[in-house]
Amino acid sequence: MTAPTPSRTYDLSFARYVYDHIDGGQRLKLCMQCGACSGSCPIGTQMDHGPRKLFMMIRAGMKEAVLTSNTIWNCVSCYNCVVRCPRQVPITYILHDLSALAIEEGYAEAKKADNARFAKAFWWSATVFGRTDERLVTARYYFSSGLGEGIKKGMANQAIALAMVKTKRMHLGMPHKVKGVGELKAIVAKAAEIQARHGKEG
Amino acid sequence: MDKKTGAYLCQGCGLGDALDIAALEKVAKAEFKLPVIKTHACLCGDEGVALIKADLEAGAVTLPVIGACSPRVMTDRFQFPNAQVLRANLREQVIWSHPAGDEDTQMLAEDMLRMAFTQATKLNAPTPWKEGEFATTLLVVGGGYAGLTAANEAVKAGHDVLLVEKSAQLGGSARGWTKVVPSDPPYREPQDNPLPALVAKVEANKAIRVARNATVTKTAGMPGKFQIELSDGSTHLVGAIVLATGSRPYDATKLGHLGYGASPDVITNVELEIKLASGKVTTKNGQAPKTVAFIQCAGSRDPAHLPYCSSVCCSVSLKQAIQLAKADPQTMVYIVYEEMRTPGQAEEFYRAAQDAGVIFMKGKANKVANGAGLTVTVADELLGQEVPLGPLDLVVLATGMVPNSTDVDAPAQEYGAELLNPDINPYPAADESYKPAPIVPTGGPILNLQYRQGPHLPMLADGFADSHYICFPYETRRTGIYACGPVRRPMDMAETADDARGAVLKAIQVIANAAEGASVHPRVGDLSYPKIGLSACTKCRRCTVECPFGAIDETEQDYPVVNPTRCRRCGTCMGACPVRTIAFDNYSVDMLSSMVKAVNIPDEFDEKPRILVIACENDAYPALDMAGIARHQYSAFVRILPVRCLGSMNLLLINDALSGGYDGVVLMGCKPGDDYQCHFVKGSAMAKERLSKIAETLKSMQLEPERVTMVEASIADSARLPKVIDELVATFDTIGPNPFKGL
Ligand SMILES: Cc1cc2nc3c(=O)[nH]c(=O)nc-3n(C[C@H](O)[C@H](O)[C@H](O)COP(=O)(O)OP(=O)(O)OC[C@H]3O[C@@H](n4cnc5c(N)ncnc54)[C@H](O)[C@@H]3O)c2cc1C
Ligand code: SF4
Ligand code: SF4
Ligand code: SF4
Ligand code: SF4
Repeated sequence: MTAPTPSRTYDLSFARYVYDHIDGGQRLKLCMQCGACSGSCPIGTQMDHGPRKLFMMIRAGMKEAVLTSNTIWNCVSCYNCVVRCPRQVPITYILHDLSALAIEEGYAEAKKADNARFAKAFWWSATVFGRTDERLVTARYYFSSGLGEGIKKGMANQAIALAMVKTKRMHLGMPHKVKGVGELKAIVAKAAEIQARHGKEG
Repeated sequence: MDKKTGAYLCQGCGLGDALDIAALEKVAKAEFKLPVIKTHACLCGDEGVALIKADLEAGAVTLPVIGACSPRVMTDRFQFPNAQVLRANLREQVIWSHPAGDEDTQMLAEDMLRMAFTQATKLNAPTPWKEGEFATTLLVVGGGYAGLTAANEAVKAGHDVLLVEKSAQLGGSARGWTKVVPSDPPYREPQDNPLPALVAKVEANKAIRVARNATVTKTAGMPGKFQIELSDGSTHLVGAIVLATGSRPYDATKLGHLGYGASPDVITNVELEIKLASGKVTTKNGQAPKTVAFIQCAGSRDPAHLPYCSSVCCSVSLKQAIQLAKADPQTMVYIVYEEMRTPGQAEEFYRAAQDAGVIFMKGKANKVANGAGLTVTVADELLGQEVPLGPLDLVVLATGMVPNSTDVDAPAQEYGAELLNPDINPYPAADESYKPAPIVPTGGPILNLQYRQGPHLPMLADGFADSHYICFPYETRRTGIYACGPVRRPMDMAETADDARGAVLKAIQVIANAAEGASVHPRVGDLSYPKIGLSACTKCRRCTVECPFGAIDETEQDYPVVNPTRCRRCGTCMGACPVRTIAFDNYSVDMLSSMVKAVNIPDEFDEKPRILVIACENDAYPALDMAGIARHQYSAFVRILPVRCLGSMNLLLINDALSGGYDGVVLMGCKPGDDYQCHFVKGSAMAKERLSKIAETLKSMQLEPERVTMVEASIADSARLPKVIDELVATFDTIGPNPFKGL
């Protein structure tokens, strides 16, 4: 089931979908718009809306604006907001599950959702090697927006890359893998299966 | 029995060390020739008290003057049956606020005693006014939740009640409502309306006589003796009155900008309440609404309509929104608010509404348009943009309360300006931007008071019936008449019930005190009352106009006549009277003037100026006591004369002080004016007014007008007043000595 797209402001169909299908969504009803979350967020200045306003946009039925917002991607899971929220809204979970929804419904492919591509590259490395490989993750992320763009970004960050190699922060050559990558893949597959089942149940 | 004044000087609390007690005794002996003069190491101890008591019982003394601590403390110790007692404040206002063993401190103490001994010569025991029969029945006007609670409580306390209700039924606004805002934990669900049970209880009570379809056509007399006439022609004698006429909803036809009248689907919260009670909320199409918006503060907190917060409409919208959301969870319910105000326990109720899925939109609703469905334009502060909210099936305007401090259905009467009680505006004059409309009563008076000062109860700005709603709740400016419920300020039912109980307690107190000839708040128990010497009266009417409580009426020959149980004993009439023919047995212009003159005024070469501080007993005098308790020091050149209220300050006192050689006069009293703190409402304002007229007199005496000044003092000013006094003493010093000194 896809989330409904309201045709007017404050149509509650999208908000109600979020309450019912997003992790922690029920608690979102109790958000009192105090702004403690956005005020506490270390990434706040890098967010277009911040959690407080994003949650009001959910109520206002602004589905597209919510799912293309960088707020859901820029969260670094520090949990500052969750600790401070006077209404115990699990903000971090909600943001992450909204990103999942954004991917699911194709909003993450839009040019704006830069961090979605980074997250994908990260996920690829984590599931394939069991760890992140700086060089490959970066390369994958850079080239995800096209060949020209990838070369441009790579050139721009050359100096940093060289410095990292020098200080052994970045590793050239074959990527290291964790032991038992096969088992890891099985775990991830099982998790995906559970999530799919729960997603359907709501 | 002849008056025999005795002096009792205490040596405790450091008095014996700081002062030369023998010299004080000499004042009593040589100057006042008192028959009994005693000192004791601790007068308030059993032995000291026994000493005074023995003298009283032996008849050696009839009036003890106790030179010790402030008259505000040890009142239980220094209280003797059937005896007046005077106190000279040698502790708080002498040794605690001035250096020990100092010449000026000693002079101050001696003058304090001179003032007290002089006061003793002018003091008579008051004879209380108790003429005729006193009624104990309580009149309750208004049969809503407030009136019903009041009636019920009064009966429980042993009083009969006459309950007058204008409509055909008891219950008032809340009649017929099914659910009310929760007043019991966990405060999450709308509760059943407690009103029907209360109506049944009152109707079953034989001690409550209910007059329906009735209004009060006349109220004459005074507490303990009100003569009431009802519209049905019946007459009654009652002791006190509780005003519980409640409120009416704000006139929604004035809310055209919010769409009222444009569509039958724009309704008020009162209209929705009726729909909810009928069990069926439908729109004009007969359908249950699927989208509903509440607009808060509809006509409230808006200078163009009601400038105040009506206090209940936020909680009421929460209740109604929860009811709609629970009836059909698919309904989309919005509350458009600027501030959500949930007094009492309703914050939890607000969370319950959120839980039920109600959406709260913060921002001003600018416009309601009626097209394909209703659309509310909201300046959405949370999204930071203007949004159209719609199409909506139903828009509910959360209208506020207008107090029924007048009877709007009764014809307005023509009054002379002096009968309109033009009144106190509580908004600081400094705020030029905001000027509420002048209060002109709409409709007729509720009680039809047969008073010189007019038939209306004085109103506050915004039309509420009250005097001071923080310091003196329930008290109107007509003694014996107490307001409760939304007629005195907006409130919900739980608060209304508490209010009704408070007002009933006040009413019971006045009934009891009036019968004893004793005053009510703030001079509770005072048995004195003003007596007017008519032979000197010039019929100037100042007393009848200035009395803050409308206690003085006029005879057919235009002479003033005091209604003693209406009187609060402030002495404003006494201060106003130009021929000084108003006096209490124990308080008079003559007494105060003699005390002023009792002080020794050193001649100008001594360089010891004297400043008279006329201090109100309610705030200024206790603040000065507290200055002493905190050991704040101030000039020992001041002589403090306590008065009941600055309103009782007759200009003669200033005249006497200046012609007697004082270098300056300071009036110290509560804040007058719009946001008054005066315990007698208008007393300090009257003093200020009188003072404004004195400059000419001073000039004619060749005196600088700056020699007389007024200082606002509140109970919290104990640290400030000593500084103010010292600054004033310095100012008077630069003006130079009073040329009348020694004349
Ligand atoms: C829409 C709405 C919903 C509300 N819901 C709630 C709620 O859920 N919970 C809650 O706690 N509070 C609620 N309130 C507030 C509540 O209505 C009041 O607090 C309460 O009714 C006040 O009671 P009262 O007796 O003082 O006044 P009223 O109920 O107004 O009663 C006054 C009575 O005096 C009579 N009267 C008026 N003039 C005269 C006269 N000249 N002579 C004789 N009689 C006269 C009137 O006929 C009336 O019977 C609500 C208010 C509104 C407007
Ligand atoms: S801190 Fe919590 S209640 Fe406050 S705005 Fe953020 S989510 Fe809402
Ligand atoms: S958890 Fe995410 S949204 Fe919350 S404060 Fe940290 S970075 Fe910001
Ligand atoms: S109670 Fe709420 S709706 Fe009513 S006037 Fe106050 S703030 Fe406005
Ligand atoms: S002015 Fe004061 S003392 Fe005089 S009659 Fe009125 S209430 Fe009584």
